Amino acid sequence: MTSASQISRPRSRKGVDGWRWTGRFFLVFMILYTAIPMVWMLLTSIKSGFAAMQFPPQWWPSEPTLASYQKLLDPQNSVGQDFLRFFWNSLFVSVCTTILAVLVAVPAAYAFSRFRFPGRRFLFFAVLLRNMFPAVIFLVPLFILMRVLGLVNTHGSLILTYLTFGLPLAIWLLKGFYDNIPIQLEQAARIDGATRFQAFLLIVTPLSVPGIIATAIYSFIGAWNEYIYAATFLTKNDQLTLPVGIQRFFSENTTDFPGLMAASFIMSVPVVVLFLVLQKYFVRALTEGAVKH
Amino acid sequence: MAEVVLQHVMKYYGNLAAVNDVNFTVNDGEFVALVGPSGCGKTTTLNLIAGLLPMSGGDISIGDRIVNDLDPKDRDIAMVFQNYALYPNKSVYKNLAFPLQMRKLPNDEIDRKVQAAAKVLDITYLLERKPRELSGGQQQRVALGRALVRDPAVFLMDEPLSNLDAKLRVQMRSEIKRFHQDLNATIVYVTHDQLEAVTMADKMAVMNGGLLQQYDTPARVFANPINMFVAGFIGSPAMSLVPLQASTVDGRVSLSSVEGWSLPLSDANARKVASAKSAKVVLGARHSTIRLHKEAATGFVPAKVYTVEPTGDITFVQAFLSGAIVNISLPPTVSVAPDEMVWLEFDQERIHLFDGETEMALRAD
Repeated sequence: MTSASQISRPRSRKGVDGWRWTGRFFLVFMILYTAIPMVWMLLTSIKSGFAAMQFPPQWWPSEPTLASYQKLLDPQNSVGQDFLRFFWNSLFVSVCTTILAVLVAVPAAYAFSRFRFPGRRFLFFAVLLRNMFPAVIFLVPLFILMRVLGLVNTHGSLILTYLTFGLPLAIWLLKGFYDNIPIQLEQAARIDGATRFQAFLLIVTPLSVPGIIATAIYSFIGAWNEYIYAATFLTKNDQLTLPVGIQRFFSENTTDFPGLMAASFIMSVPVVVLFLVLQKYFVRALTEGAVKH
Repeated sequence: MAEVVLQHVMKYYGNLAAVNDVNFTVNDGEFVALVGPSGCGKTTTLNLIAGLLPMSGGDISIGDRIVNDLDPKDRDIAMVFQNYALYPNKSVYKNLAFPLQMRKLPNDEIDRKVQAAAKVLDITYLLERKPRELSGGQQQRVALGRALVRDPAVFLMDEPLSNLDAKLRVQMRSEIKRFHQDLNATIVYVTHDQLEAVTMADKMAVMNGGLLQQYDTPARVFANPINMFVAGFIGSPAMSLVPLQASTVDGRVSLSSVEGWSLPLSDANARKVASAKSAKVVLGARHSTIRLHKEAATGFVPAKVYTVEPTGDITFVQAFLSGAIVNISLPPTVSVAPDEMVWLEFDQERIHLFDGETEMALRAD
């Protein structure tokens, strides 16, 4: 009896620790895996063009310089002009996509969450149809559609296309959020003298702000990073968005790695800032309903 | 304040009648409890009165108006929800002020009314807090405050006490009763707890399966349950119901058991049995009307003790009688043991008899 329990106890404890350590190693690996490219990007961006190409590589730049950043952000030279234009184009497309996605997703998600109408389930899953296929499959059909609509070489074509990705996700995310707001709150508001719309606007909307913010971040990042549609639909240089612009611009001007890395870093800034400012809402939105408050 | 009248009210979900031809009148200033098991249609009925659900048929009037097609906001009602439904992002003050703001009252009047309501419910010190910073009992008071701040024609309450712990529930029960008496308010109160209904309400509407079973004062519902469902639902522990066969033994109408014994009935009860559709008769008796004996005698019937539950001042005994479980209450001085054979004596004046086919109470006429 005693010998059996003595043997079995340490063994079970060892098992738990083993899993815990595996988990820790895995997490450390994931952190390195995601962080190292970013650190390398930052380090390269403050090197000179010559230092970036050296082998063996300089792990730490011997003469750090902000020249690449100065070049990119200076509206006087042609590189800076192009870069700032691409940046502005990306910002315009992403912000328009985000605003439209939220404007459409909020009422759509609310309707899916609260109303029982014929075809509700079918429509709700049909919304996802677009996301069942890889983006490339829709490239040609959408291009033909945009040509018929006369939208090729306009930012409108990108905004419309990005909505086809962004809206389903936004609707699903927000619907989950509305499902977690007790319907009694609206009923109470309607009894207290609000119309259905007032109940939505005055009671439900303030409570769904975290969900709306999460949705907006999703849409924004999706649009901000998108490459393949932007590369297909836009040909004029002054309309390019950042992902395409960076790629084209630097493949034309030999390979200026510090410049490329600096541009990539600047491109990641809006996303990082968005996350830092809004992360508490974002996390709350994704874990809403996971624990009982 | 106003009366509420329901006439032939129907609510269908597909082919399922959640509320089936319900009729009752809540008089001005009356406290009516809608009571029944879950899914009986009581909450649906309340939501129909509130206008939160569209009716499938019938008429509801509040005061002098038919309100069938009015929005909830135009019905002059206030509602207290089971989960209180306090607006989580608003302070207690703003929760109380919301119904008044929606009615576009001037700010100074809103302030006066909110302060007055807070004073009545003793929640003035909570006005600046958010709902999540309140205890369950405090949230309950705020929910009541939001209902009474507007002085509505009718108060609707949907299981307002079921989220509270047992001790607080008893306390709030008497506070709501007091609230009703002080305001002379018309209240429709939904509960699944028959004890709440019996203790608080002027009248109770017992519902089951979407049908209104009985609508009367708690005392009369308790004393004269109209059918076996009401008999079994109202009262705790539940009324014991024993299926038996009516027969004539030695010229007297008796109820006989498959176990071989028979219980002779009084003349009044014999007349009731005569009105039954078949020989199947169900004997009903409340725990306090059954006496337990250790020795056999004429008119006693044999039973076998199943469980004994002492509560301190009363000991509840469950016993098997003719295959059914019978609840009996005893003074704690009497001691019985599980599996002991005992003899039960029924009080002929206070037993209930039901038709075994229709489940309706048998009447003497």
